Amino acid sequence: MITLDAKIPDGPLEKKWSRHKKEMKLVAPNNRRKYEIIIVGTGLAGGAAAASMAEMGYKVKSFCIQDSARRAHSIAAQGGINAAKNYPNDGDSVWRLFYDTIKGGDYRSREANVYRLAEVSNNIIDQAVAQGVPFAREYSGLLANRSFGGAQVSRTFYARGQTGQQLLLGAYQAMMRQVELGRIEYYTRHEMFEVVLIDGKARGIITRDLVTGEICQHEADAVILATGGYGNVFYLSTNAKNSNVTAAWRAHKKGALFANPSFVQVHPTCIPVSGDYQSKLTLMSESLRNDGRVWVPRKKGDDRHPNDIPEDERLYYLEEKYPSFGNLVPRDVASRNAKLVCDRGLGIGGTGLAVYLDFRDAIAHDGKDVISAKYGNLFDMYANIAGEDPYTRPMRIFPAVHYTMGGLWVDYNLMTNIPGLFAAGEANFSDHGANRLGASALMQGLSDGYFVLPSTIGNYLADLKPDTRYGTDHEAFDIAAKKAQETIDRLLNINGKRTIIDFHRTLGRIVWDKIGISRTKEGLKEAIADIRSLRDEFWTNVYVPGEKNNYNKYLEFAGRVADFFELAELMAMDALNRNESCGCHLREEFQTEEGEAIRNDKDYSYVSAWEFKNRNGVLEEALHKEELNFEFVELKQRSYK
Amino acid sequence: MPTIIKALKSQVGRKLMTGITGIALMLFLVVHLAGNYAIFASAEAFNIYTKKLESLGILLYMAEAGLLFFVLYHSYLGISIWLGKRKARAVGYEVYKSRGGASRQNVASRSMILSGFTILVFLVVHIWSFKFGETEMIMYAGGEPMRDLRQLVIDSFTIWYIALGYIVVLSLIMLHLFHGAWSAFTSLGVTNKSNTQAFKLGAYIFTILLMLGFIFIPIYIFATGGMGSLIAY
Amino acid sequence: MSTNMTIYLRYWRQSGPKAKGYFEDRTLSTVNEHMSFLEMLDVLNEELQLEGKEPVEFDYDCREGICGSCNLVINGQAHGPKKGTACCQLHMRNYSDGDHITIEPPRASAFPVIKDLVVDRSAFDRIIEAGGYVSVKTGSAQDANAIPIQKNDADLAFDYAACIGCGACVAACPNASASLFTSAKISHLSHLPQGNVERSNRVLAMVEQMEGEGFGDCSNFGECEAVCPKEISIAAIADMRRDYARAVIQG
Repeated sequence: MITLDAKIPDGPLEKKWSRHKKEMKLVAPNNRRKYEIIIVGTGLAGGAAAASMAEMGYKVKSFCIQDSARRAHSIAAQGGINAAKNYPNDGDSVWRLFYDTIKGGDYRSREANVYRLAEVSNNIIDQAVAQGVPFAREYSGLLANRSFGGAQVSRTFYARGQTGQQLLLGAYQAMMRQVELGRIEYYTRHEMFEVVLIDGKARGIITRDLVTGEICQHEADAVILATGGYGNVFYLSTNAKNSNVTAAWRAHKKGALFANPSFVQVHPTCIPVSGDYQSKLTLMSESLRNDGRVWVPRKKGDDRHPNDIPEDERLYYLEEKYPSFGNLVPRDVASRNAKLVCDRGLGIGGTGLAVYLDFRDAIAHDGKDVISAKYGNLFDMYANIAGEDPYTRPMRIFPAVHYTMGGLWVDYNLMTNIPGLFAAGEANFSDHGANRLGASALMQGLSDGYFVLPSTIGNYLADLKPDTRYGTDHEAFDIAAKKAQETIDRLLNINGKRTIIDFHRTLGRIVWDKIGISRTKEGLKEAIADIRSLRDEFWTNVYVPGEKNNYNKYLEFAGRVADFFELAELMAMDALNRNESCGCHLREEFQTEEGEAIRNDKDYSYVSAWEFKNRNGVLEEALHKEELNFEFVELKQRSYK
Repeated sequence: MPTIIKALKSQVGRKLMTGITGIALMLFLVVHLAGNYAIFASAEAFNIYTKKLESLGILLYMAEAGLLFFVLYHSYLGISIWLGKRKARAVGYEVYKSRGGASRQNVASRSMILSGFTILVFLVVHIWSFKFGETEMIMYAGGEPMRDLRQLVIDSFTIWYIALGYIVVLSLIMLHLFHGAWSAFTSLGVTNKSNTQAFKLGAYIFTILLMLGFIFIPIYIFATGGMGSLIAY
Repeated sequence: MSTNMTIYLRYWRQSGPKAKGYFEDRTLSTVNEHMSFLEMLDVLNEELQLEGKEPVEFDYDCREGICGSCNLVINGQAHGPKKGTACCQLHMRNYSDGDHITIEPPRASAFPVIKDLVVDRSAFDRIIEAGGYVSVKTGSAQDANAIPIQKNDADLAFDYAACIGCGACVAACPNASASLFTSAKISHLSHLPQGNVERSNRVLAMVEQMEGEGFGDCSNFGECEAVCPKEISIAAIADMRRDYARAVIQG
């Protein structure tokens, strides 16, 4: 029987983390080299953790699926990273960053975790600058800040539009230094297949060497999964093509609880889909909404050139509906309304799945030069991808899946319910509740990696005797390795008629239509049925090309898509269970007449943590609830009218 | 800390030395050109100048040894870089095309090894004929007999194929410098984002002026049949 | 709105690191102008699989020009014809109906082929490993604003830090030199006070590693800058040489 204990320290909010650090057990420096830690994933969380723990003296084994740690998808984050430095002196504080994050998450995250996140945010900036991250600076030589995602203070640090890249390279370089010093064993092009449990504790992993196809066994005293989010379940998302849920999902199938899987963030300003061949969606910074006006033609099927559509025939739906926030409503509200107008048949372009983002008035008011100085690189990017000039023709935009708040359930120490198995960054569920604020993903990844895990891992390891490993000849390793091999063989032997991508694309459409921006009870039930029948077809009719003992990208995809099928079903179950609308989760049954979300704090103020149960091959999941207690903030309904 | 030898053998060290020897050789060309123009100064000047050089004795030998060293070192580096690239790219492209734009790949930069090698061969011939070749002796009033290199120059350049051959070789040196003059300063790390265009322009102007200076002499001598009024008799 | 184009593809096939490679030709008749170059290859691979053939392997991940995974040499140019653009961001509207396109892996002895168009670029990791970092431990940093840095220096450092490590510089260099990659990291760090402390050791170690990996010499061709998706200037290479000379002289 699983009991969920978040292990939140006692005491006042602002003392919890420091008190916890004081009370946690330590591993003596001379003993640290006797402990081995496996870290899967080399993004901000994994890279930062690997570097920090190796610096402390632990033996680290680091794994990534890409050809280099530097390619982890954290690299693609554009906007920036929040911190409560209050350099601009505009009234920011740890408390305010904490409060904004809790409120932004629509009160579905833990107070203690979020407060700690806000607290260490400042150390992250210090650390990054010391590593040589070239943040934007003022002419004074001091760091520049900007306001981001509708925040009322300027707390976002940035490095042009490549903040994620620069922070990741900082962590990567710190990590490579430890590789050179021999404290990190570095495995690239390796995919994790299984977590190995011995006596209920995580003791290692099984990987596949993606170049040779070899199934490898790795032992350790603790395993950290920093393997990112699962947005690619939608097939089309802003995630990198290799981003996947496999490591987290395989851990889930070994007993780790998966929390809030239905909480998925959709970003409102992406370049729309142009055809079936489309492989991914490209995000454009939401800062565009500061000057662009969002509209659709009032008349269905109006195929005139947008510039020929007169003012009174344009529906500026955000400005009409939300007079005070207008085009600057939060991400979830903007995304939902774009879908609503497209559902009404007012969408534009060949697919009808796009709305206009128009800079005509801004250019007329401020001049082309001013607009170009602000958004020049974004306009160029749009012109390159869409093949249209946004200076003379409104941009076409549409929402796209961007970030997944759900993930492996972890306690305050970032440990899952499996002892010795930790999850960090987007792979865990911990800090963003039902909606993540802009510029907070980088903050959380680095907070987990640099400052939380290196402290909490010692608390776990201190209870293990050093040098008491079982060796990879323990039968648990063989069983897990055999299972990994069987999955591969099974996939290669199906020899069906439909391609993996075809299945993935079809799955993505189901998930987008029915578990996407807005959900209904019927839709979710249909989704579950559709997913099941598609999954059955997948296992009998997919064609997986190539060999197992060679580089084989499509074999990798096949395994990941198989896991996405199971995750998709759990997402639907979770969304179905949550009879309320909160954050990014909108159930159409639970909204006001005007389409505003109705949250139900009385019945649903909990984290839904799902336990995998496999009975006779049918997916079964048991729900566990971690009640959220709000001692320090008052719960309020969001309103952007 | 690497020893100087190790540093010189490194990729960056080799490039630095290519730049240093290259710049030294360019400076030598400037001095050489100035000497060449003694042919226009007075009837005796050119021969006295060459005689003076020869009478420097040990100093001349040292200078010559130095120059020889620079030439050989520069050539060695060029050849080793050229050989190295075959090792660094064992399998070549079926299709290869320069992107243009910021690229400095052109006839000059792609033919450094060819132009360099031709120059090396020319140098051997050139030095052989001036240093050790047979020449008439001449004696000026109140002086001792000396080699009449001035007449050798004039006689040679009135022969069309020698004049043409000289101009062709000089054009190759110009081609070499079109890439080399700018490249040498980049190799020494003197250029940066803001001055690189200025260095490039300066290098082109320098190269063109230098080569016009060299080529003027054979053209003038050939065009006037060795009797031009600029040549003092 | 968009019409289908026919493209004649010729691409490198090599079943493994030691296998002998060859070119394979194939005509694609359903190429849409809005496709990215890599999406065209996806379509090719779908066609191949439906015929029961093995797809062509190539490296990619983010498909938005920042991860540096993709590195195809297209008609003899690293990342293809478009300035400042990685091939994942190259769209087929840059081509015309009936075009012939040859796709090769980056050719360098230091980048051995793994399969088809996929190569091993771990040499780049080892160059960074040799010294491409500031040796600061987590938690030991002072306040981020303690050292002001001139905006110009910070901007310049960023220009060099923008490198995505794709290896196009090596692929395009007639000598297969990794000088731009190596020097971009050196210049990034040496333009900042935080990186200045280890400046000498860094340049010596990274240059040694670069050479040890089997990359060629730099001849200042500047082709690397021309193909760099981040348009990093070869002024970085000049910086690296200056730093190197200083490190040797200062001893």
